[in-house]
Amino acid sequence: MPADLFERFPEPEPRVEEQALARALAALPAGAPPRLGRLRAPALAVAAAVALLLVAAGALAAAGALHVTVGRRSTASTTLRLALPGGARGIAVVVEGRLWLTTRSGLRIEGLPVSTAALSPHALYVAAGLGDSLVAMAPDGRRAWSRPAGGAVTEIAWAPSGLRLAYVVRAGGGFALHEIEGNGARDELLDASVRSVRPSWRADSLAVAYVGGGGAPVVYDLAHRSRRALGVSGATALAFAPRGRALAVATPDGVSVGQAVVRLPRVAGLAWSGDELAVTTGDAVRLFRPRGARLVPRGTTAAPRIAGLTAGSRVTVRDVR
Amino acid sequence: MRAARRGDKDAAAELFRRHWATAWRAALGITGRRALADDVAADAFERAFAHLDGFDERRPFAPWLHRIVANRALDVLRAERRLSGDELPELPAPADLGSGDRGLLAAVSSLPLDRRVAVVLRYGVGMTPQEIARTLDVPVGTVNSRLARALEQLREVFDAG
Repeated sequence: MPADLFERFPEPEPRVEEQALARALAALPAGAPPRLGRLRAPALAVAAAVALLLVAAGALAAAGALHVTVGRRSTASTTLRLALPGGARGIAVVVEGRLWLTTRSGLRIEGLPVSTAALSPHALYVAAGLGDSLVAMAPDGRRAWSRPAGGAVTEIAWAPSGLRLAYVVRAGGGFALHEIEGNGARDELLDASVRSVRPSWRADSLAVAYVGGGGAPVVYDLAHRSRRALGVSGATALAFAPRGRALAVATPDGVSVGQAVVRLPRVAGLAWSGDELAVTTGDAVRLFRPRGARLVPRGTTAAPRIAGLTAGSRVTVRDVR
Repeated sequence: MRAARRGDKDAAAELFRRHWATAWRAALGITGRRALADDVAADAFERAFAHLDGFDERRPFAPWLHRIVANRALDVLRAERRLSGDELPELPAPADLGSGDRGLLAAVSSLPLDRRVAVVLRYGVGMTPQEIARTLDVPVGTVNSRLARALEQLREVFDAG
């Protein structure tokens, strides 16, 4: 064994070093309290996603049954995705490529580098993109399954039945949509050219919506193995209603549910809370109830009031106004 | 160190550059993969810098940092193992390692995790067995035993090669 083992180890990449330096410097204790204005941008960046979670998890939060701890301090602009499964028995969040997860049944994963992750309904399983594999495990420690995905998995969506997953994987210069059974069996390619947008399952688990390579939403009917493209272009997010067949589609110009359209700037995400559609925009969460050909406004929650900032090892919910 | 603790970014950057390569190599030695090493080392520095104000500056910075690196690497590997079972390969792919002595890296990576950590901290970072024992929260005798077995295993690998 050489006296200095590391002399024969490779060098870290300069690019990685610079990124790490930036992160480390951002984590330095501030000499003086930061001004609110400096906090506002990252706060707003995560506010919409946190607000979505809070809208959807209201009942859970009220019950106080789930303690949420997320991440480390992050002062950089953050991409935050919160995934709340049906049944609301757990929360998974991917922050800057790391998975933080907690469930009522006791599964905790803290800071695992993943490309994406999703909890199954009732948080029975978590599926995640790990390297070029799709992996899953049960919270009680039952054996996980792992399947080579052929590339980085960028999006995962569990069917409401919990028996299937749809996932988007990087393939060549683009992305492909696959479907796989919840036990890791029978992986099937559904579409070889899609966009990296999280698919959404219909309530009956017999159809999955995704964004095709051309930017149009596509509904794939698993029962008939047929697909139908919708007449919308540039879709950025999709969400099937938890009941029925209504599909909400976000575009850069607004949101549509069937024939009902609302023009909204800067739509960041969609989520259904019962019969109401929560739409996050740059500074607020807006609620709508589809009624015929209209989306009836049901109010606005000012997102900055419930901005989530990762600080230390906890989510801080604070009023930034 | 004092300036960095006060939030002086130039001083902190100098501290970072002085220790980055060693910390990254320690992370690589333990995890066996570049991508994880990038992540673990960056995360360790972030954690260390976030807690600089509570650091006792009379003590050396490097052992403290390497302790964070080692524990963070172990946390990541354990979490990954929980998530993936035993199905993911633990050995690094040669292409993933880039430059350097691939034979040595592969041999180190083939060690069981507890021995690998001991070897990296002893012969890479330069910690004493006592420091390793404190870092890993195990008796010194356990560290010495792991090192002895690791060296024996490495010798067998190289003799066979």
